[in-house]
Amino acid sequence: MTYVVTDNCIQCKYTDCVTVCPVDCFYEGPNFLVIHPDECIDCDACVEACPAGAIFNEDNLPEDKKLFLELNEELCLIWPQISDQKDPLPDAATWDGVDGKIERLIKTAPDT
Amino acid sequence: MAPKEKYSPSTKEAEFLATIRNGKYDRDIITGLKKFMEGNVPQDMQGFYSQEELDAVKALDGTDRDVQARMPVKITRHYFEQAKTSKAIQTLVKASPKETYDLDGAEDPGKQMSYSPVEGLIHKYELGLIYVASTCSAHCRFCYREELIAKKEITRADGSVAAKGLAQIKDIVEYITEHNRLVDENGGSHPETKRERLREILMSGGDPMVLGNKNIGQWLSALAEAGIENIRIGTKELAFFPKRFDETFFEMLDTFHEAYPGVNLRMMVHFNHPDEVLLKDPNGDFIQDPEGGLTWHPDAKAAVQAFRSRSWINVDNQSPIIAGINDDADALRILQREMKRNGIENHYFFCGRDIVGHKAFNVPIERAWEILNESQKGLSGVEAHARLSITHYKGKTEVAAVTKTAVPGVKGGENGVVIFKLLRSAADASDRAKVTIVGRNPEAIWFSGYDDRVIVDEAELYSIYDIPAISLVAAE
Repeated sequence: MTYVVTDNCIQCKYTDCVTVCPVDCFYEGPNFLVIHPDECIDCDACVEACPAGAIFNEDNLPEDKKLFLELNEELCLIWPQISDQKDPLPDAATWDGVDGKIERLIKTAPDT
Repeated sequence: MAPKEKYSPSTKEAEFLATIRNGKYDRDIITGLKKFMEGNVPQDMQGFYSQEELDAVKALDGTDRDVQARMPVKITRHYFEQAKTSKAIQTLVKASPKETYDLDGAEDPGKQMSYSPVEGLIHKYELGLIYVASTCSAHCRFCYREELIAKKEITRADGSVAAKGLAQIKDIVEYITEHNRLVDENGGSHPETKRERLREILMSGGDPMVLGNKNIGQWLSALAEAGIENIRIGTKELAFFPKRFDETFFEMLDTFHEAYPGVNLRMMVHFNHPDEVLLKDPNGDFIQDPEGGLTWHPDAKAAVQAFRSRSWINVDNQSPIIAGINDDADALRILQREMKRNGIENHYFFCGRDIVGHKAFNVPIERAWEILNESQKGLSGVEAHARLSITHYKGKTEVAAVTKTAVPGVKGGENGVVIFKLLRSAADASDRAKVTIVGRNPEAIWFSGYDDRVIVDEAELYSIYDIPAISLVAAE
């Protein structure tokens, strides 16, 4: 059981969720955030905090967003943890609500 | 939403915080009944709810008797293992339509919100309670913080309506500092509220132990810097997921203690029933420990031992007495004996609150007293320290005695009387140990059940609501 970040986070990355997460279970990629499903404690705080409405309870995932459960599972293992809020991506407001953003998802891990 | 101005830790705090490691935990939480309904839980959990039970709860979804909306269903793997062989624990953690059969009761019978000067803080006595987390690893069906856990909107003292928020470090530190400054300038009591210094803070929620070590450490050091001498952590994690109390957690505590050696930690743990911590044999009986006492789950035992090996940490258990869970003198006797043997003090047992949606869990006050009293027969003096407490608006009150000798001429007196003793009032301690005596009402689950039979009201539990005592009426 977990919460899942879905496509409307892509290219926006507001990071408000990070400030309310009590267990710091968000992980950050170049243009997307994910939740570590084993660390999430189902507190529900991030759902309302997300300005893009991108976070769903696993049980309430719309059918077309189900693939994000696996994406969260996969990417949290290669991306670094994020625990402080950052500025949103530059064109966040423009991208908010745009369809088909999944095609823009960058899965690479940062250079370390 | 603009980020709120954050608390800035001192250099000393920052040095402590830099040492903290967060552990990784696999609680294996199942939230909601959907997974059970769809057979989408591990094989051995599939029979935890019968089809009839699932259907009965599902039938209420979306109605005003929605059990899942009242309190989301949540269980850890560890607690499931303990629940498998325990009817009591199953009642504690499994959703049931009984929860919403009778929705009578008050939203906030203890009027907690009137004691909240800052978001997320309840200030009573020399103790402040702060909400630092809005969930737990598993959910007790009888939880009376359901408005926080289930995120319900509540009415504040100023009439506004909003969901309860969590405490923020900056707000709380500012409040403590300002309160204590005013107290000190005014010769030891607050000029308006007459309260003493805030010496003790109870971290509550939700369960603070769902937070990571870094987050807990931020609270501990900030509270210590604000002058708090005793920090309590109210937690049921020892029952729900004792592996949370791991090496990284104790490493954080030890580093905290090195930096702030004057601060005591008081773990306020929450065991309702011995089945939560003891192992059973295939017949369902507890297992004698050849070293003495009964055999504990090794994870819980290890956590308790780790706490008790640190002299600056105390562990106290407190539990409500709940219908169908622990309204059982034999279970409570074993619980009290095993707690004390393992270094956990038996602090309070509580009467349930008369809150909306709690009728299924409420044990009448006089019955609760009888059960606790019966459970303490056969305990040694040190094992039987726990008192039965009921939280009046005025302050913490003990149900001191229920008598069986008839007191003629008083309503309910034919069966005897109930003696309440005010342990302290919420502001200061001037009314400590004053009593109120009422005629018996075996059905009463709250003070209001005695409104028409108050005999003596030295503690003023009724006169503050203009309810007269017979002694006063007779004197007039």
